[in-house]
Amino acid sequence: MREISSKAVVEPSAEIADDVRIGPFTYVGGGVRIGAGCIIKNNVTITGRTTLGARSSVFPMAVIGVSPSGEEADGECIIGEANAIREFVTIYAGRARPTRLGIDNLLMIGSVVEAGATVGNHGIFANCTHICEGAIVEDYVRASAFPVIEPGVRVGAYTFINGYAGVDRNVPPFAIVEGMPVRVRGVNAENLKRCGFGDQDIRALKEAFRELFNGSSAQADAAAIARLESQGQLNPHVRGLIEAVRCGGGGNG
Amino acid sequence: MAELKVLREIDPSARVAPDASVGPYCVVGPNVTIGPRTRLVGRVSVSGHTTIGSDNVFEAGCVLGAVPQDLKYAGGPTLLHIGHRNRFGRFVTAHIGTESGGYLTRIGDDNVFMDGSHIAHDCYVDDHVCFGRNVMLAGHIRVHTGAVIEELSGVHHFVTIGRYSRVGARTPVRRDVPPFTEFLSAESDSTPAVRGIYEAGISRAALPSEEEKDLRRALHELFDNEFALQTRIEQLFNLGVEGEVAELCKFCQQSLRGVYGRYRELFRGRIPPEARQYLPREQWAQIAREMP
Repeated sequence: MREISSKAVVEPSAEIADDVRIGPFTYVGGGVRIGAGCIIKNNVTITGRTTLGARSSVFPMAVIGVSPSGEEADGECIIGEANAIREFVTIYAGRARPTRLGIDNLLMIGSVVEAGATVGNHGIFANCTHICEGAIVEDYVRASAFPVIEPGVRVGAYTFINGYAGVDRNVPPFAIVEGMPVRVRGVNAENLKRCGFGDQDIRALKEAFRELFNGSSAQADAAAIARLESQGQLNPHVRGLIEAVRCGGGGNG
Repeated sequence: MAELKVLREIDPSARVAPDASVGPYCVVGPNVTIGPRTRLVGRVSVSGHTTIGSDNVFEAGCVLGAVPQDLKYAGGPTLLHIGHRNRFGRFVTAHIGTESGGYLTRIGDDNVFMDGSHIAHDCYVDDHVCFGRNVMLAGHIRVHTGAVIEELSGVHHFVTIGRYSRVGARTPVRRDVPPFTEFLSAESDSTPAVRGIYEAGISRAALPSEEEKDLRRALHELFDNEFALQTRIEQLFNLGVEGEVAELCKFCQQSLRGVYGRYRELFRGRIPPEARQYLPREQWAQIAREMP
């Protein structure tokens, strides 16, 4: 059963699926589509051409689909299923290209996703994570509080971003990164374990990281890339890592 | 006043004291209790099983009692308790507890939380604590009486912040902060650590002069000394310490016993001792029955 508060303002042209709950004082604009089973709490603003996937929840004071320039919201924002968008999160709509959020992400209090940013699936972003314009965040990324992912930067899958980090260049997958300027500190073994990676894979990745990033550095070592590639049987995840680093995923971008 | 009623939503089963004030665009959920003279300025949301005492002020946009951001939360009727005479700035958020973390988030009396602060699930904030803007507490944290946490600092899960200590601005706190000390980074990128005695804290604690002298000496011996902390604590214990100094030594000892300098890590996945102390009796009895 649909449950829309009589104190909510929902434009007539908004497409609201069944089973959607909308709390009081929430505004849903005319270009918005909300999927089945979404829970929108009170005092939320959803505007622009925004699509919110099924079973997502939006908490009080969150703002989705606004235009960064403050002009009339005509950008696009595509949000997948089962995302949790917590209090005070702002997701801007992209004009040149839509702002995209995959499935099953958790954006904690006060996080910001700027226009045209792309966030993958299953990410967890702690309070006040700032994902800037056009940044790309791959799947299963974890972020501690207050990091800034700068415009156009790519964050590799399974990577953990430490608190207060300024991610000012591309960072590889599987890593723990920290600091400003950002540097690679090691392999995100805990997250990999939780995501079902075997001991052997994790060990291979650890060795590769030691070669590539020499303990802790921002730049992948070019000679080490060649050395690793010359090895015969390469672990598929290590191959993925090298490819990412080659395409500018390891500080070269 | 008829007009105002339209602009807010108070669930009929919420218990709001007659002289509490609930401003425009506020939303008060069914299991909420709001004490006398507490003021919700505007656009404040209160949900969950939340109890708020008397004489609190919540500025515009606070969100209280929302479900925890912890993925272990299973949707149970966990609690948020807020005491008396607290001041909450704009956009402050406080969450209810989790089942595995002790069912309760507790905020004591006479605290100040500036704009954007966040008090997460299962935190215990005592009295006379001051939070600067955008201070973020992760879960399961204990903040003792009189602590000051400055702007933009973030506190790691399971950390304990000692009595009358100070955490400098923009400091990531990943280990316990001993009482009466200053915890900050020396330079912008150095590891934050104890960097001195928090004088204002000592004077706010208003200790008897003899005890204050002992405390200062103990602080110097513990933190201005080349020996391992463990050795120094033992030396002090051997001298026979009491009062505030004994508490200080006990605090440091517990932090050493914990994991990564965090005493409360020992309660990971368990009900912490504070739950027994602060949970309503019936609630505690029920949890104790369910405990393995």
